[in-house]
Amino acid sequence: MKAFRIAMVLFLAAFPAWAQHEEVVNPRQSPEDVAVGGRIFRSHCAVCHGLGGVGDRAPNLTTGQFRHATSDSALHEVVSRGIPGTEMPGVYFNGAEVWQVVAYVRSLSGAATDEKITGDVAAGQKVYASKSCARCHRVNSEGGRSGPDLSRIGGSRSQAHLRAAVVNPNEKVLPNQWRFSGATKDGTIVSGRLLNEDTYTVQMFDARLGLMSLAKADMASYEVLKESAMPSYEGSIAGKDLDDLTAYLASLR
Amino acid sequence: MKYTMRLAAGLLFAATLTAQVTSERLLNAAQEPGNWLTYSGTYQSQRYSTLDQITRENASKLKLSWVFQASSLQKFEATPLVVDGVMYLTQAPNDVVALDAKTGRKFWTYNHQLPETINVCCGAVNRGLAILGDQLFMGTVDGYLLALDATTGAVNWKTKVVEYKNGYSLTVAPLIVKGKVIVGTAGGEYGIRGFLDAYDAQTGEQAWRFYTIPGPGEPGHETWEGDSWMTGGGSAWVTGSYDPELNLVYWGIGNPAPDWNGDVRMGDNLYTDSAVALDADTGKLKWHFQFTPHDEWDWDSVQVPVLVDREFQGRMRKVILWGNRNGHFYVLDRATGEYLLGKAFVHQTWNDGLDEKGRPKTRQAAAPSIEGTKVYPGVQGGTNWYSPSYSPQTGLFYLSVWEYASTYHKNDPIYAEGHRFLGSLPRRVEGDPGYGAIRALDPETGEMEWEFRMVEVTNSGLLSTSTGVLFSGSNEGHFLALDARNGQEIWRTNLGGRAYASPITYTVDGEQQISIAAGNALFTFVLGE
Repeated sequence: MKAFRIAMVLFLAAFPAWAQHEEVVNPRQSPEDVAVGGRIFRSHCAVCHGLGGVGDRAPNLTTGQFRHATSDSALHEVVSRGIPGTEMPGVYFNGAEVWQVVAYVRSLSGAATDEKITGDVAAGQKVYASKSCARCHRVNSEGGRSGPDLSRIGGSRSQAHLRAAVVNPNEKVLPNQWRFSGATKDGTIVSGRLLNEDTYTVQMFDARLGLMSLAKADMASYEVLKESAMPSYEGSIAGKDLDDLTAYLASLR
Repeated sequence: MKYTMRLAAGLLFAATLTAQVTSERLLNAAQEPGNWLTYSGTYQSQRYSTLDQITRENASKLKLSWVFQASSLQKFEATPLVVDGVMYLTQAPNDVVALDAKTGRKFWTYNHQLPETINVCCGAVNRGLAILGDQLFMGTVDGYLLALDATTGAVNWKTKVVEYKNGYSLTVAPLIVKGKVIVGTAGGEYGIRGFLDAYDAQTGEQAWRFYTIPGPGEPGHETWEGDSWMTGGGSAWVTGSYDPELNLVYWGIGNPAPDWNGDVRMGDNLYTDSAVALDADTGKLKWHFQFTPHDEWDWDSVQVPVLVDREFQGRMRKVILWGNRNGHFYVLDRATGEYLLGKAFVHQTWNDGLDEKGRPKTRQAAAPSIEGTKVYPGVQGGTNWYSPSYSPQTGLFYLSVWEYASTYHKNDPIYAEGHRFLGSLPRRVEGDPGYGAIRALDPETGEMEWEFRMVEVTNSGLLSTSTGVLFSGSNEGHFLALDARNGQEIWRTNLGGRAYASPITYTVDGEQQISIAAGNALFTFVLGE
């Protein structure tokens, strides 16, 4: 009995996808289901995956390959429950509606895509170094901490999104990148990433001073800035350099 | 000496433990402020206490007395009951715990096992108990109503109210009226047909049922197109109030289903998003008032009806004060249901005002859409189910509010029994989280007298006292004591968890205590030196 259990554990460990998802055929694949799924996609998925699933803040879904799922069942699971540790949330629909979303996402495979890698990864890494990106950003434990960690950024953002973020970092600033800036009554100037806030206090990261917890009552002045600390590189990184840098960032997974 | 005293106190305690909570005690609950006998404190549901030891002047000396840690990670939404030194509370989903209210030490726990697959939209939670005689009453997430022996926790009877597999559940704290136990169902996100039920407290037999959606031939049925009434929602998941003189039970009714696509249920969709007044003996509808006809934003009207006798526009009236999830404050005559006043208490963009009968002039442009329509207030509403408070001393109505918007989407709902029936889902407006506040309204005008603003929104209910203090928790984890006259903060402490229930106050051995749930624990405070 014990030996059987061990064998089962090894077996299940070797085939996690098989163990977790009993293979079933998507019961909602009619053209009408695809159309309904497309409308749900427009409401709930396009805001990150882009209209038509071409990718934006979240990955391109038109390539026919999905990093977190291969089968329809696994896709159903991902759409229902989200992907832990990522920005992908689960949706709150009933199972039939999720199948319609899966059918729509499948229908996108092979659609036209602008995701061709045109730049050179090694050259892009040199651009990254020459523009001192590592002063604020971190890749695989190297670099600063005041900007987002980019170690796996290519796995979650489309190339178009990455390119836009270099040229116009203020286009869309997520709340976890908001900044806090102010002066305490005793004259200390603080500026950096806002980590947490309640009615009475603020927790933030100042690249010079480290982690700071400040009482609002002790502040002479302060403001929360819903903008990026990153300067725009429009013009200063362009052409082939921008292609190469985008290729390098897209390779970080 | 010490031992003798403790023994004497213990004997006294043992004697009070057996005292019966009669119907008369429930009717006169305001006369014994040392106990907390119903979900909302009294039948008027004002959550107002006349205990006078903790005051504006000394509330800053409150100190922690004890903590009860629930062995549950579900939201702690229960309001405890306190009867003669014993606290009864539920530990989500459906355990019942009896504690010594002085020490927080347990007398007993009743454990109710739920099936593995249960249908609840928003957490397997419970909002509390009711008590009558020596029995406690609890509704369960799997659709049962239980009567427990208050001394031992043993089950006296167990009645199946409804089939949980079809999307129904009981999360409400029951209300005892004239020997009957009244409960309403949850499940508005599952295409249910909602109802309120009354059961004989002695036998567990059903006394009456009121369907919140009228069936064929009944008045109001015509407000549902086709068969949409069969799956129209209309849950009733927060406890109502009772006026013994009028013999009317008042209850708030939840959203229509599917929540965000009204095309498949054309009409006003009565009695969703309404206040209903029912004859306490028969469950027959006396009057109704619908706050949000043909709701497409999920604005349940499950708020606790606050019953107040006061002068209104020049004459004494029996009124209901109602801060509605749709962002408007209402005053209704509770004998007739007549609309007396309505005014927005948060920023709203879904109507062009209310007409002379209180019906909103709804904007077409506020309807949900595939790409999304940004509307104030957001889906959690201007307020929600968390209890408001009314202080006869200040004459003010206090409520917890959210100032924020949602983007409302609309898709094609598929109905399947026991499954979610939504028609899409609203989203937060990214980068615009809004904020929370506690607001004080003048019931005469609906005007805001003051606000206590917070960075985060709040899910906590409120408690006011005759000594001029307003207590509340917050999403930020703070337990707050405010000056009820002007909202100035008197005292606060950080409990480290969100408050999903309301504070209560009571006495043990003559000493005033105050308890509030935050995170997964219940915290009890007394005055320090």
